[in-house]
Amino acid sequence: MSELRSMWGNTRMVVLSAISAALYAAVLVPFKVVPLIPGVTELRPANAIPVVCSFLFGPAAAWGAAIGNMIGDFFGGVGPADIFGFFANIVYGYVPYKVWQVLARGQEPVIRSPATAVKYTVACLLASTFCADIVGWGENLLALRPFLMLGNAIVFNNMLAAMLLSPFLLAAIYPRVKAGHLLYEDVMPEQQGAAAWTAPLGLILLVVGVFGAWTAGNLISTGYWTPHALPASMTQPPYDRAIGIVVTPLVAVAVLGLGLM
Amino acid sequence: MPIYLYLDRRTFIHRLHPAVKILTIVGIFWSVYWVDNPISLLPIAVLLLAGAQLTRAWPNFYSLRWLFILVIFATTLTWIVFYRQGKPLVHLGPLFVSRASLEYGFGRGIKLAELLATSVLFLSTTKVEEFAFGLAEMGVPYRVGFAITLAFRLVPLFIDSALTVVQAQRLRGYDFDSGSLMTRVRRYVPVTVPVFMGALRKANNMAMALEARGFGYSARPTSYVHYEMRTVDVMMLLGVIVLAVAYFLIYYSGYGAIAPR
Repeated sequence: MSELRSMWGNTRMVVLSAISAALYAAVLVPFKVVPLIPGVTELRPANAIPVVCSFLFGPAAAWGAAIGNMIGDFFGGVGPADIFGFFANIVYGYVPYKVWQVLARGQEPVIRSPATAVKYTVACLLASTFCADIVGWGENLLALRPFLMLGNAIVFNNMLAAMLLSPFLLAAIYPRVKAGHLLYEDVMPEQQGAAAWTAPLGLILLVVGVFGAWTAGNLISTGYWTPHALPASMTQPPYDRAIGIVVTPLVAVAVLGLGLM
Repeated sequence: MPIYLYLDRRTFIHRLHPAVKILTIVGIFWSVYWVDNPISLLPIAVLLLAGAQLTRAWPNFYSLRWLFILVIFATTLTWIVFYRQGKPLVHLGPLFVSRASLEYGFGRGIKLAELLATSVLFLSTTKVEEFAFGLAEMGVPYRVGFAITLAFRLVPLFIDSALTVVQAQRLRGYDFDSGSLMTRVRRYVPVTVPVFMGALRKANNMAMALEARGFGYSARPTSYVHYEMRTVDVMMLLGVIVLAVAYFLIYYSGYGAIAPR
């Protein structure tokens, strides 16, 4: 994950992160008026942009997603939970690129075969669910909204955009950006070493952490699962303490996995 | 649709040091976080209304009125389903209404509305440059602040560019308005491609222009805008600290909580 820091030393990457953010926000803001769950989240076709940018610009897209989402939040008001939204969007813009590096290094992220489609779906599903985990966990930790609500709405929203819009955008844009030498590997070739030997282990930890956190968060916030090892005072609605104790380590496992990739 | 909420009113709140404004919203978020009881949240609501009057930010509150109503309504409804505490008044399937769940849900709704109001006040009184300056004063690297400012500036340009492409396509007979919501959203993919490519074409020139002006030369660059910390800023900061401590004491004494009945 050091590239998330080192990219700030490259002016082109700084500009690309600003452009990714502005493109994301430019599509996000007009759709603020189309609520998916009124007062909670809106339909977000803009969520296709971070996925596309992730495959093109890697870490610049991660920061771009976070900044773009922050601009969108500024339009409709910010709150303490938006700090979690910031980090969730970093993950949403970073995971597709990292997972692709492990599953299909050197291949173009344009869907031309069933195998590419499967790898693309896995990358997007991991990114979408990890993003949902962080927001759902954070909001439930602050006892603002139950995990179930945002944890699922975000996966739906992200996957809808990533599966229905991003592939078409990638097919049209990727070859042009490649020809213009603006892909991450062209802008920062010094960062393109061999894949870390820990990458497969990182991917396994990422999968375990992401889906473990999502499952546990859903079960606890709905009251279907009560962790009996915890004192009764911690397993009462709004389940903030139970979520804090059970889901936090799983989110940490996912972050560790991402770090090892 | 307005993208920026900033209103140039030149009140003393507008002239506060940007870092003080950021710390003020952090202080209000902190204070709101500790209490659940709607009555305990009332003093902050009064403060925010006074702030709206002082800064003459009512037009922004008016334009976002439906968002405020939706936030309170949807949050109250959500917690009526999820907060199953106290003696039930109505219990029909997932609907569990008790005095505690109503108070808790309404308290959460008011809490989120207050967070929204705080951010609306902040955005009504703070320019993007001031926000970036405030972040830099708080230790955020200037390159990140620059990316945020640049992204904010690019959003209206990209929206304008997208609208121009939409109008050009309409003139050629392209139909954006028929079909389901998803079909219509997918019709915008061809619009996104030229906007995307236009933006990326700017990236190289922008990076070269920035480097030609010495961007990245120093880790602590000088700034054209500068804000002095004045007596009024210190008074404001002290007021926020008093508020934050008072609310923590309300929580600590148990007055801010909702007991199941």
